[in-house]
Amino acid sequence: MKGTSRQAVVGYGFILPWLVALVVFIGYPFLAGFYFSFCDFPPLKSPLFIGMDNYMELLGDTGFHRSLGVTFIFAAFAIPIGVFLALTLAMFLNARVRGQSFYRVIFYIPHLVPTVVVAILWLWIFNPTYGLLNIVLKGVFLAADAWTGLFFSLGAAAKGTGCVRPAAAALLAAPVLAWGAFLSRAGQAMAKRRPARASLVRFLAAVALVLALVPALNAGLTVLAPADMQKLHSPGWLSDSSSFPAELPIAPSWALWGIIVMSMWGVGQMAVIYLAKLQDVPMELYEAADIDGANWWGKARHITLPMISPVILFNVVMAIIGTFQVFAEPYIMTQGGPEDKTRFVAMFVYDQAFQYQRVGYASAVAWVLFLIIVALTILAFKVINKHVYYAGR
Amino acid sequence: MRPVHFGLAALIVAVFLIGYLESRPDLRDFDPARNQAFKDTWAQRVHLSYWEKWASFEGEACQKMVDEFNKSQSGIYVHYIQTSQVDRKAALAAVGGDPPDVVGLWDSNVIPFAEGGALVPLDDLMKESGLKADHYIPNYLKLGQHRGKTWALPTSVMTAALFWNKEHFRKRAADLRAAGLDPDRPPETIEDLDRYAVVLNEFEADGTPRIMGFLPSEPGWWNYAWGYWFGGSLADPATGALTPDDPANVRAMVWAKGYAETYGREKLLQFRSGFGTFDSPYNAFIEGKVSMEMQGVWFPMFIRRHRPSMEFGVAPFPCAKGVPGPRSILQADVVGIPRGCKHPKEAWKFIYWMQTEGLPITARLQGKNLAIAKAPDNFHAGHPNLELKVFEDLAEAPHSFILPPTVVWQEYMDRLSRAFEHVWMWPVPEAEVAGLTGDARKARVEALCREEIERTCREVREVMQEKLDRVHRLDAERAGEVRP
Repeated sequence: MKGTSRQAVVGYGFILPWLVALVVFIGYPFLAGFYFSFCDFPPLKSPLFIGMDNYMELLGDTGFHRSLGVTFIFAAFAIPIGVFLALTLAMFLNARVRGQSFYRVIFYIPHLVPTVVVAILWLWIFNPTYGLLNIVLKGVFLAADAWTGLFFSLGAAAKGTGCVRPAAAALLAAPVLAWGAFLSRAGQAMAKRRPARASLVRFLAAVALVLALVPALNAGLTVLAPADMQKLHSPGWLSDSSSFPAELPIAPSWALWGIIVMSMWGVGQMAVIYLAKLQDVPMELYEAADIDGANWWGKARHITLPMISPVILFNVVMAIIGTFQVFAEPYIMTQGGPEDKTRFVAMFVYDQAFQYQRVGYASAVAWVLFLIIVALTILAFKVINKHVYYAGR
Repeated sequence: MRPVHFGLAALIVAVFLIGYLESRPDLRDFDPARNQAFKDTWAQRVHLSYWEKWASFEGEACQKMVDEFNKSQSGIYVHYIQTSQVDRKAALAAVGGDPPDVVGLWDSNVIPFAEGGALVPLDDLMKESGLKADHYIPNYLKLGQHRGKTWALPTSVMTAALFWNKEHFRKRAADLRAAGLDPDRPPETIEDLDRYAVVLNEFEADGTPRIMGFLPSEPGWWNYAWGYWFGGSLADPATGALTPDDPANVRAMVWAKGYAETYGREKLLQFRSGFGTFDSPYNAFIEGKVSMEMQGVWFPMFIRRHRPSMEFGVAPFPCAKGVPGPRSILQADVVGIPRGCKHPKEAWKFIYWMQTEGLPITARLQGKNLAIAKAPDNFHAGHPNLELKVFEDLAEAPHSFILPPTVVWQEYMDRLSRAFEHVWMWPVPEAEVAGLTGDARKARVEALCREEIERTCREVREVMQEKLDRVHRLDAERAGEVRP
């Protein structure tokens, strides 16, 4: 035997156990599922070939359309929010601070907790009466409403009548103060001459801005969406099927928001992948940018983001695929309810196959999902590839 | 070949060898700690596997019954194997050709299992053993029958009634009397129930309920079946056609929706979120958050376990005025012999013993009534369920009912429950009732709700009837008839 072919034999020998498992446990069900998708197949009876009937039924099945809708809405909200949070977290974790490894571990730990445990834990967190989240929300809104009440009448805002109190004029001082501290020539001059005092003034200006924004936003949103703001004080979370914000037709239901919020719990894993790539970014680039006078945002926009864009692509594609596999969380927390608002497609497949004994139909759904995932992945590559920078590779 | 390859080959061989030599755990393995009492007859006995769903104290009751059987003779030893999702596992085991000898299913599994040929018909065995239909309360026996054959026999039963909190009734006695209601007895019609509920309600300053006299969505297990107490039915018994939009079913939903609209969907949502789990002291009824509730025959055991001092009463759940009663939904677990099991004869011997002598043992320990018509003489003395009589009467009441035997029941039930949820949460369009007040507003709200309820129920019928017809058509085709 020649060296290369002998090497090949040894190589295949090593992967043989995996290859056998792949063919038997994945390849066979994959193809069998394709055949069953053309059959009526209750598990206790023999499969009966029915042609395209299952696929035709899918076209008109409102239950399937609803679960597909739920899955897409989840993807549309959870993926961008997740990517943004993970990226922000990764940038923080990349900062050189004392105890950096400790923070990295802390944020990664949630990913190690089994999904079932997380789901049960969050069931308690989301309890509208005794849950941690609503207790915090209530406290926050109590303070925010009291503060807002000094400047605006929230009751009048909810009714859409004149709600501005005279004291509201005082809020205008904040942007003026901020302008003076950050943007005016005097502010810049002070920053150069007396940096310590300038920092203090800027800090105070920032605090004033936040304190002014809270009542303005609170009252403004109460005028725009009184019902939503009222509900935000104490949402029904997993048991509430109404949308938030109610005015947005594709908005997730409160129950779905619950699952979106919970999915952010595992964002640490994505952050670690970003972090690994962030540390790959050559320091020279930042040094060169510093010399050119680039600020923090310029560096992030023109160096960091392009350099880590391949990883963003990877994470987005993985997240898209992951969305179509969301099962354990809704299965444990909501059983698909209320009103199917958290019945993801994976759960729909499960119901058809195991609850309603329609393995053939479930196979057809699974195959359609497979095609959707492939199409979305290709789309993600096509769209994002234009903006992905592979450092000359 | 290099030494590393020899090493690898040796490792693979060793793994396979160990896997081969490592014997499978077997039912006949003798455990000296557990099976000492059967040491002498162990080897000569036929060992049966009995898959059953019950765990906790209800599982212990089943185990006790099995132990009694094992002690009663020396030819068979039954192994009680507690199995979650027993229906799915039993179906897969049947398809895989390795089913248990005895399987405990839910009544709703009987049709799919029978149609799929996964169960042995029991009629001939019953005849040989002299087990007659009159041994049973007719409705419970029907649960295991399909197409004129008996596929499974009832074991643990479900009968439901109204539980009412006597403490709440006493506390509000004066108010109840003022409203013309008797605080010493439970309501006798649904209209009565609504009036009692109004008096028993208590609210926080912001309008959130503190105590609700009654809530149609609590515990929410039979939301799909309220129509029966209004004289409706979910299927036409003569034709088998599904009838979710039967006027009585619609009326029941309008009634339930009335609670959501009167007390506020959001407020009730908040209120219900404060309820604890069923088997806990924070159960809404046990904790006193809901004064009246429909619950099953098992409930007194749970109440006494979590709040022994609670004063409560049990009565048939009232029907709407003019609807004959009393009536209860009747369900049961069933036991059968999977086709292809190893020891069908011995399995029948065990089932026969269970049906004649075993059921009273489990029923007493689980606090339930019996599926058999004539209870043994010593059954009632010391039975832990002090309210048993109500359930026994309901089980034999002529208007008590079983759910429609249909092959698509699981999906039908899910859709009905979802329809209830949808109706409960459906927001009345504000624009439609703007400017209306008092009775005019109430009437308009009810009309709008009725419209939506009728639409929802009709949709369920259309979808599910089509599915049912499809199953029948495909089954006919499978049986060799020509496809249209």
